[in-house]
Amino acid sequence: MQQSAFARTLRTIAGWCVVGIFFFPIYFWTSVAFRDAKDIFNWPPIFVDFSPTVQNFEQVFGISLGFGPPAAVTPGGGNFYMGPRLWDSIVVASLSTVLAIVVATLAAYALSRMQFRGRHEYVNWVLSTRMMPPVAVAIPMFFIFKQFSLLDTYIGVILIHGLMNLPLAVLLLKSFFDDIPVEIDESALLDGASRWTIFRRIVLPMAKGGIAASAVLCFIFSWTEFLFVLTLTQTGLKTVPVVSSTFVTSIGTAWGNMAALGAAAIVPAFIVILLVQRHLVRGLTMGSLKQ
Amino acid sequence: MAVAQVKRIAISDSPWPWLLPLTALLVVFTIYPLIYNIWLSFHEFVPKSRGLKFVGFSNWIQLWNDTRFWSALGVTFLYFIVALTIEIILGMSIALLLDAELPGFGALRAILSMTLVIPPAIAGMMFLLMQDPQFGVLPYLLDQLGILGKGTPILATSSLALAGVLVAEIWQWTPFMVLIFMAGLRALPVEPYEAASIDGASAFQMFRRLTLPMMSKVIAVAVLLRGIDLFRVFDYVFVMTSGGPGTSTYTVSLYAWQQTFSFLKWGYGATLSLTSLVIIMVMANLFIRIAKVRW
Repeated sequence: MQQSAFARTLRTIAGWCVVGIFFFPIYFWTSVAFRDAKDIFNWPPIFVDFSPTVQNFEQVFGISLGFGPPAAVTPGGGNFYMGPRLWDSIVVASLSTVLAIVVATLAAYALSRMQFRGRHEYVNWVLSTRMMPPVAVAIPMFFIFKQFSLLDTYIGVILIHGLMNLPLAVLLLKSFFDDIPVEIDESALLDGASRWTIFRRIVLPMAKGGIAASAVLCFIFSWTEFLFVLTLTQTGLKTVPVVSSTFVTSIGTAWGNMAALGAAAIVPAFIVILLVQRHLVRGLTMGSLKQ
Repeated sequence: MAVAQVKRIAISDSPWPWLLPLTALLVVFTIYPLIYNIWLSFHEFVPKSRGLKFVGFSNWIQLWNDTRFWSALGVTFLYFIVALTIEIILGMSIALLLDAELPGFGALRAILSMTLVIPPAIAGMMFLLMQDPQFGVLPYLLDQLGILGKGTPILATSSLALAGVLVAEIWQWTPFMVLIFMAGLRALPVEPYEAASIDGASAFQMFRRLTLPMMSKVIAVAVLLRGIDLFRVFDYVFVMTSGGPGTSTYTVSLYAWQQTFSFLKWGYGATLSLTSLVIIMVMANLFIRIAKVRW
């Protein structure tokens, strides 16, 4: 349909305005990370015209960035020193992603390539585990972990995050494997190759992009997860979403520091998601819709 | 020769070695907790002896008579319906608006996907800051527009608190709908629209008669996946209101969690979380049947 130049301009402006509204909270939160208390607690709120400072980042990461006056960086890290917590997040998200992807690629290959009785039911079972409310897993898991001394350990959180991502990873990877023509497998089988060889030499390399996209999504869902970490850890480790409540203290909330940590957590996640833009919708719909 | 080959394919075709790790993990981490949860729901923690005592059906009877549970269920359903309706309508409108090749629209799509990578707990904090009655942006804007009086504590007013939480929810997840719907719109064939416009159909008629029916699968998938997450909402209410003021933002997940970990009612918490699980499973499976969603 042809639109007039006027309609096109109007639509462009409307599009930018709508997205601007969605972008505003991200802008505002990031700007709070660069403010001192005076500019945060001002009424009316300051939108643009604040005097920028990096002290919030310096306190949260325990480093001096060398702008302005020497910052009050407590040697060894103050109350708001979050470097180790960021490390916890990275360790948990990476290793749980590895776990989920390894287990899921194997299963997805079988579900995509092999005909067997109960395949449809098996897929539905995997999907139905995605429906379990986290709270209904976290409560029994707390007691089970307690028995096996897994509470407050990396292993425990990595296991539970890996598991949480399995339904997504399996169904998503299955959809990527389904895209590879099955004739390739069949002719290799007739040439005497084993399933394992076909999987390793042919299917895995061909599905590289899809596997990477699945891994990114698993990483992000672990990165943003809240309830399991809240329930299954105490002091040993805490990921970024959970630790942000540390900034709420009896003498008020350290919004600047919290925003600095939040911004630092969002930026890497956003960069990786840009890398898989092409597969984003497929990932969000667990492989059910292709772009 | 040919027989041997066929046989070879058949033998190497057992899926179970491939499925073993997944099956084992899913059994250990979903079936076992489920059974444990059921077992726990027939017990209760006794602080005096620091142990569990068998209590029969008393947790289930308590659930039936617990007005706070019914109110939490009501809040959860309200949250679910309001958020889903707004996210679908808003998501479809924005998707239709952005479904065009105009300057910068590719970048707009990328910007919209930003909200999806923010941890919901941090998004909740963002809106907690922006809704602060003393210095928040939202009360300021609403005051300027004359909608709310100056200094109204949105999240501390029972009639407004759920709306305050929903703002964060809708902000973060409307882009989820937009991205999915845009992908659906792009995949639509052009011919029916050309035929309809020759016949003189209006834009609304085309949307109603062509776009909606052809998009039904896409909409169903988006509704299913978002609906599951909406019904188990926890993060936003936990960081923004902790269920308050009063019980106005208590959801079933939050109530179950607090009963278990704040009040040490382990058995009752398990009962509540099981109830939530059953409701989600029943609703989701009904929806899958009715809407014929297939993976």
